[in-house]
Amino acid sequence: MFLTIEPDGPVPIYQQIRDRIVEAIAGGRQPAGSGLPSTRQLAVDLGVNFHTVNKSYDLLRREGLLRLSRKSGAVVQRDASSGPPSPDWAGDWTARLGTLLAEAAAQGLPAEAIIAHCQAAVAAFAFPAEAEGRP
Amino acid sequence: MTAGALAAVFAVPFYGALFCVFPVVTKPTVQFGVRVPPERTGATVIGEQRRLYFMRTAVICVCCTAMAILLAVHGSRWPPMLIVPIEMAADIGCLLVARRRITAVKRAERWFAGLRQTVIADTSWRADPPRFPVRWLFPALAITAATVLIGVVRYPELPGRLADGFGAWAAPGHRVPKTAVTVFAPVFAQLWVTALWTAIMLIIYRSRPEIDVADPAASVRRYRRLLARCASAMLALVTLIDLSLLLAALRNWQVYRLSGAGAALPFLPYAVGLLVFVTFVLRSGQGGFRLAADGIDGSQPPDLARRPGLADRDDDRFWKGGLIYVNRDDPALMVGARFGVGWTFNLANPAVWLLISAIAGVPAGLVIIAVLTR
Repeated sequence: MFLTIEPDGPVPIYQQIRDRIVEAIAGGRQPAGSGLPSTRQLAVDLGVNFHTVNKSYDLLRREGLLRLSRKSGAVVQRDASSGPPSPDWAGDWTARLGTLLAEAAAQGLPAEAIIAHCQAAVAAFAFPAEAEGRP
Repeated sequence: MTAGALAAVFAVPFYGALFCVFPVVTKPTVQFGVRVPPERTGATVIGEQRRLYFMRTAVICVCCTAMAILLAVHGSRWPPMLIVPIEMAADIGCLLVARRRITAVKRAERWFAGLRQTVIADTSWRADPPRFPVRWLFPALAITAATVLIGVVRYPELPGRLADGFGAWAAPGHRVPKTAVTVFAPVFAQLWVTALWTAIMLIIYRSRPEIDVADPAASVRRYRRLLARCASAMLALVTLIDLSLLLAALRNWQVYRLSGAGAALPFLPYAVGLLVFVTFVLRSGQGGFRLAADGIDGSQPPDLARRPGLADRDDDRFWKGGLIYVNRDDPALMVGARFGVGWTFNLANPAVWLLISAIAGVPAGLVIIAVLTR
């Protein structure tokens, strides 16, 4: 998987690393059980501070997407086929989604256009469960 | 002509020609140490500066070679090898002039305006790292073992005072007392050369691949090929350096005797190895960009065609003088060289200074031991 970041962009680097890994998991490019480079190796590969990658991995661990251990390194813990998320996570995500959609509405995007954008974004992910016809 | 003078007559045109061709083997997106967006690689200022740099460095090469030959033929208290650092300084001056002109135009025309500057990592690289070709180490170790064996056999028959120095760098007529350190100095040198370059190649193997935003998949494959080629070429060069040291040891141990330019015989394997190594590396290009990317379908457009508006990160601020890499945030020990081919140290990393101290410390320690045991 190619992980692309913009080190001089407006979004913090740790957030970009976290976002790209979430997108790779959703798109099936980084399925549950697959490994990621260690924090030190990814820091070298991206030319960024070790603590920046550590922060991204810790964020993903707290979100339940990554398992970190000394023995097996960083391993993806769940993906689209791992069953429904926890109720706590769903509530938090709904609140963040509400703010994101409100931004579009505040900028004058019609409701139909917002829904079309949402559908296009979801369609971009190749959910393995849906592809196999499972619920 | 002495062996040292002959070595200088070889070294001056060699390094001059090397600097001369550097822009050709450097990626079009980092000309003269300046990061250039893919759509600006054909800018007029770059073409102009390439022509001027080539002419200037060619004139420097010709003048310095003529000067080295004159010093070597007529004899002087100034060693002809002194021309090499002078020539290199002049060539770096030409690089800095070209770099300044291109940077000025780049800033004035805002080449990176509106582009998303990215860095790419291949997360699968660490899961399937390239294998270090250990088998290429065996010839170098066999030569070192042979040197030790011959040294042990010759030791009892050696006189009380021995010739000093290695190959072309031997001090004519200078003798040192016979001790284990002075007799086996060539073996220590062989071990140091082999260990040093193996360690550096291992660090390079653990460093990051150079991935171009223009075509990440192809650049990773090219980099993999470059590593394999460089490691085998480097270890072949190490073998030939060890052979040079063996020939120098045989001369010091009075197995053979040659005078005048003939004394340069131990220098020959090293010179041949260096020429072959440099040719091999130059043909690969910076980051392997001149190599074919195995398994890439050439009929498909490069990745950048599908993702317009992207460019490699403008990282000029981390390159001092377009040659020296200093980036505190980057934990890498070594990164790809900016001008020409090869790799360079990240001087902002404290571990690099420890490494440089170790590299310089070993021969310095040996010289101190040799002086103390006299």
